[in-house]
Amino acid sequence: MEIRKKLMMVILLTCGAVLLLTSLTFAISEFITFRQTAKRQLATLGEVIAANSTAALAFDSKEDAAEILSALKAEKHIVEACLYDENGNVFSLYQTGSASPVFPAIGAEGYLFEDAHLVGFQKVFQDEKYLGMLYLKSDMNAMYDQLVVHGVIASLAIIVSLLMAYLLSKKMQQSISKPILALAEVAKIVSQQKDYSVRATKVGQDEIGLLTDAFNQMLTQIQEQNIEITSFNQKLEQSVQERTNDLNRVNKELEAFSYSVSHDLRAPLRSVNGYAQMLQEDHADKLDKDGLRITNVIIESAKRMGKLIDDLLDFSRMGRQEIVKSTINMDTFVKGVVDELMEGEQERHINIVVHRLGVVSVDPNMIRQVWVNLISNALKYSRKKENVYIEIGSTVQPGEIIYFVKDNGAGFNMDYAHKLFGVFQRLHKESEFEGTGVGLALSKRIIDRHRGRIWVDSKLNEGTTFFFSIPNQ
Amino acid sequence: MPVLKHIAYIQLKSKVKFIVFVFVCSVLLSAQIQPSREYQIKAVFILNFAQFIEWPADAFSSAKAPLVIGILGKDPFGQFLQDAIQGEKSKGHPLQVKRFSQVSEVKQCHILFINQTKSDQELDVITSSDNQHVLTISDATDFIQQGGIVRFVTENNKIRFQINLNAARQNEITISSKLLRLAEIVNN
Repeated sequence: MEIRKKLMMVILLTCGAVLLLTSLTFAISEFITFRQTAKRQLATLGEVIAANSTAALAFDSKEDAAEILSALKAEKHIVEACLYDENGNVFSLYQTGSASPVFPAIGAEGYLFEDAHLVGFQKVFQDEKYLGMLYLKSDMNAMYDQLVVHGVIASLAIIVSLLMAYLLSKKMQQSISKPILALAEVAKIVSQQKDYSVRATKVGQDEIGLLTDAFNQMLTQIQEQNIEITSFNQKLEQSVQERTNDLNRVNKELEAFSYSVSHDLRAPLRSVNGYAQMLQEDHADKLDKDGLRITNVIIESAKRMGKLIDDLLDFSRMGRQEIVKSTINMDTFVKGVVDELMEGEQERHINIVVHRLGVVSVDPNMIRQVWVNLISNALKYSRKKENVYIEIGSTVQPGEIIYFVKDNGAGFNMDYAHKLFGVFQRLHKESEFEGTGVGLALSKRIIDRHRGRIWVDSKLNEGTTFFFSIPNQ
Repeated sequence: MPVLKHIAYIQLKSKVKFIVFVFVCSVLLSAQIQPSREYQIKAVFILNFAQFIEWPADAFSSAKAPLVIGILGKDPFGQFLQDAIQGEKSKGHPLQVKRFSQVSEVKQCHILFINQTKSDQELDVITSSDNQHVLTISDATDFIQQGGIVRFVTENNKIRFQINLNAARQNEITISSKLLRLAEIVNN
């Protein structure tokens, strides 16, 4: 309920309760007073009539008695009256209705309420001489009707008072509700529009005024803090941007350097290789057996170094190349890679299973390198096994798809797993399994650039499982 | 009393005759003691007059002095009035009945019932000197003309009364308006 209505309700309920209680008290007191007054009036009337009727009783004048009683006509509520002589016999009667009333036997002096009537006896004395008794019966209905009229007037007064209270409270509650409503309005603007520059208008020095002040101070504080936070954020962003720029610049320089180094290394290597081959082919007859062997070692080493440089160039190129994403069907994509790699493994018996892989949005050329790397690793490290079993599959997780390549090959000790994705890091000897140690570093770089993760699970002599995840949108 | 003397006389003559006579006499006596209904009412009225009339203070020798109701002439009320006043009081004054046979005997009276025709002169005598404040009552037809104050009148079998206000004022008697309302006011 609105505070305005609550306030009015409080005022009106209080007024109503007070009015009701007051009028109830008045009604009760009026009723009691009214009955007392009625009793007193009837007693007075009885005394007057009794005093007037002494001579009539004393001198046996029924005409006079009737005349005196007939004066009761002036009192409309007196319905019956009777004079008894000193012996208790009916002396004179008075009645307003047509029905003949039954007059009671003489009772004790005094007045009593009987149903809707007030009845009573009054002794008739002349000085000390008892002359008879007067009986009076007063109809209270007419008087009760008057009481009802009073009640109606009182009810009207209550209604009018309540109406007045309503109008007054409607006007006066504003002194309390208006500042609160104004405050609430400002609070609404603040919370909805996030505008901390507005201020509530203070009305008066009461608690609401205090609240308004506190509210305004809070707004000021929020505003100041906001400004502080914003400027801090700006500074932070600026410094981050500066650092990023620095890093990018350094990175670019580094890559340009390594690229040019690698590139520049190839020319002399090509010379070494070319001249070594020329030596082997054109001057074989001049070389003895040992000379030929040395030449062979030079050629092999030059080749290996060439491969190393190629891989390094690939690796450094990967850092600069822009990702171009497109949606591909990973099932057919991986199948193509597997078929291609299986070409060179026809002598071996290899059982390779590819599960459902789904559709994903990636850079196909880069992801292809990852798959080639992982699958060829699986083939390479299972070469010494009789029955090779390779499994490729995927699981969909919230926010990403996880792919895995599992083999039952040589495996490795998980203690060295952290070294696996570094450049030139190798867990096996060159003589055991050939390789440059760049492949997994390159794969990690590609997955990083796709904002995915790559990790491994392995057990020595039992097999290795490589996992990588690609964010799902 | 002559009747009693007569009885005593007869007593000597014959016991039988005496018994018969006593019976007759007792009937006669009772007739005399129990007045007619008319006089019973009049007796009560006389008694009640005492309640509605105020005498000047000097009409009583003291606050406890009796209010004397006198009967001049033959007493028509007998024992009835005597019984009726028993224990009654009027403003503190006990009531007392006195009987007078002669006008000259009338003294110290507040209410005087006159059961015989009196001349104007005699009434003057009654109201003079000692009995200046007397309320005179009678059945006599020309009582008011003679200067009396209250005269009983029988109308349609009902007893009413006439009051001579002038005479009452002369005697300095104040009559309650309630009583006057019931009375026929006449003046001599």
